[in-house]
Amino acid sequence: MKNIVRAFIVVLAVTGAAASTQISSASSSNATTTVSATIAKTSALPIPTCAPDDPNACGMAGK
Amino acid sequence: MTETFIHLLSYLEPVLCAMLIVFLVRSKAAREYIYLVALLSVRLACSAICLPLIYFCSRGIEQHLAYRAYFYVYWTSYALEAILSLMVIYSIFKLAMVPLKGLQTLGMLVFRWVAAISVAVAIGVAVTPHISKLKFMVAMVTQLQQTSSILTLCLLLFVGFAIRPMGLSFRSRIFGISLGMGFMATISLVDAAWISHNAEMYSTLNIVNGIADCIALLAWSAYFAFPEPKRRFIVLPTTSPFLRWNQISLALGDDPGFVAIGGIPPDVFAPAELEVMRRASSKMPVSIDSATALHSRSA
Repeated sequence: MKNIVRAFIVVLAVTGAAASTQISSASSSNATTTVSATIAKTSALPIPTCAPDDPNACGMAGK
Repeated sequence: MTETFIHLLSYLEPVLCAMLIVFLVRSKAAREYIYLVALLSVRLACSAICLPLIYFCSRGIEQHLAYRAYFYVYWTSYALEAILSLMVIYSIFKLAMVPLKGLQTLGMLVFRWVAAISVAVAIGVAVTPHISKLKFMVAMVTQLQQTSSILTLCLLLFVGFAIRPMGLSFRSRIFGISLGMGFMATISLVDAAWISHNAEMYSTLNIVNGIADCIALLAWSAYFAFPEPKRRFIVLPTTSPFLRWNQISLALGDDPGFVAIGGIPPDVFAPAELEVMRRASSKMPVSIDSATALHSRSA
């Protein structure tokens, strides 16, 4: 049990570390684009990725 | 179909948050985990504002106005959550290290410095020439949340591997909160890598986030719904590095003593003190002489 929990913790940490290396490259490639959000809440709420004055209101009304 | 499922999860989250707050209050742990209660309250308040905005968008509220309000509420609550997450980690570390007071003090000092530097770096990274307030806010919140996520994972690793010297078990609430926070931190970092390739308001990302959030909230609810096992009696070997570092850290916090080394006029001493010093000094040559005599006899 102890080893399983520890293995899970290590997997979480390694996944987080691997993802954080991808963020760095994603952020630098986004520097020249118009996408402003590079992170989202851990929540099911829709992510406001567009600027607040977006002409389509970022598709908030849904399809 | 995707949107329906996202809405379903969005409505489930505040319900679980409210349920967890009730469990925290009922188990009389709300005071001990006050920052967790504050974090959950912010999430609940954010959902309470955002969900009606989504529902009434184009049904009574003009969609541009609704989106603008939604944007600011979302990012403001996110900034608050990032700060409160740091405080939750801080309080969890403090609670976890209660048996080892010296390491607790040292760890908290280091943590405060790391947190202060992280905030300074987050502001520094966000500040670039000709940046708008909006981009500054998003960049700063992003950086702060990433820092908070990395610190959370460090805490989880620490709690997971040093659980025995702290007298905790996997059923302890401290471990449960660390695990939930760590799980959410990992998902948050994965999100950040994913969102750059898929920046839409409604996507699979929301479903993943929603499910992860519900799992963490349900796990926390289970930890607070049932009574917590008492901390174990800690027996550490005398060679344990935890014990050794704890002793060193305790000594680091001691108030220093003071020694007078010269320039002291005799009238600052009481007559009795002067007498003691006179007798002591009169004995000194005798003892030195006897020591020399003993040395020469043994030779």
